[in-house]
Amino acid sequence: MRKVDLVYTRVRTEEKLLLEALRRRDCAVNLVQDSGMVLSMDRQRLTEADTVLMRSMSFTRARYLATFLEMKGLRVLNSARTISLCGDKALTSAALAARGVPMPWAFVAFDEDACLEAIEKKGYPVVTKPVLGSWGRMVARLDSRTAAEGVLSTRFGTGGAQDHVALVQEYVDKPGYDLRVYVIGRAVGGLRRRSEHWVTNTARGAVPERYEVPVAHAKLAEAAAEAVGGDMVAVDLLETRGGDIYVNEINHCVEFARSIEETGVPLPDLIADYIVSGARR
Amino acid sequence: MQVQNPNPMTQSVPPEQCPLCAQPVPGGNRMVGEVLSCDGCSAELEVVGINPLRLEEAPEVEEDWGE
Repeated sequence: MRKVDLVYTRVRTEEKLLLEALRRRDCAVNLVQDSGMVLSMDRQRLTEADTVLMRSMSFTRARYLATFLEMKGLRVLNSARTISLCGDKALTSAALAARGVPMPWAFVAFDEDACLEAIEKKGYPVVTKPVLGSWGRMVARLDSRTAAEGVLSTRFGTGGAQDHVALVQEYVDKPGYDLRVYVIGRAVGGLRRRSEHWVTNTARGAVPERYEVPVAHAKLAEAAAEAVGGDMVAVDLLETRGGDIYVNEINHCVEFARSIEETGVPLPDLIADYIVSGARR
Repeated sequence: MQVQNPNPMTQSVPPEQCPLCAQPVPGGNRMVGEVLSCDGCSAELEVVGINPLRLEEAPEVEEDWGE
């Protein structure tokens, strides 16, 4: 019988479904809320579990907790490396670039004037987003120098050092949707997220649709997952109107409550099967 | 996992009122951190205590939350 610690921030629909799926497979599941965890800096084992399913909603907590739990000898899904790379969009881009995975051109800059100059060389429109952040928050499309000056002034004039990193990406003129492929060890399915807005997060109102993942998209998503060492990730793909396909982002804590009915992909069962199998990248 | 302040597992608890609209929220097997939806006002509520059941409006987002 596999013993699993499910680390969570809040027990949402996803966590309830994962809990049920693991228990259907006779796993002994211990629920641990991240806010109550205190981890000593040593290799002393904390738990009878062989696997930790990291479902913390907080990137900061997930990254540290996975790091310390791995140090203590546990199999953590996803791994600390995967969480660290996926949670920081600049590092995700670096990992993809290092493997030659197709993605929109992108650069990082650390100074307002240098960033503006680089954008001017590339031409408009471009997209800028915070390196840390999710659910489409603070993502901006810059259509002109005036817009760029305003957004960059805010980016570099507020917050702390972590906020003063400008990630600038090619603006991809999508055909009204983007794509998400779930990789649970391998590509297992996906969804299309349709929106009239250029930001296509379901958290921002995009409508999920069923999407049969073609082999080319599956291979690309698997290559992206491999680049970040992801065991169970959601890979966001951008399709251009010309038919090219790019990897945009990779998500380490897969959310599916808004889309599971439409997609028909049994993610809780697939994730539970992967945990029980003992597999890892 | 042996941690300080371990999260209590599911407990059977009596009903409690929604802190926003006072609609009764069913008790039953609840755990700290669980997210519920109020039938009265549709607010998302978070279980912050279970002996007795204590509910608060669930935050929609924290600064580093998300996929």
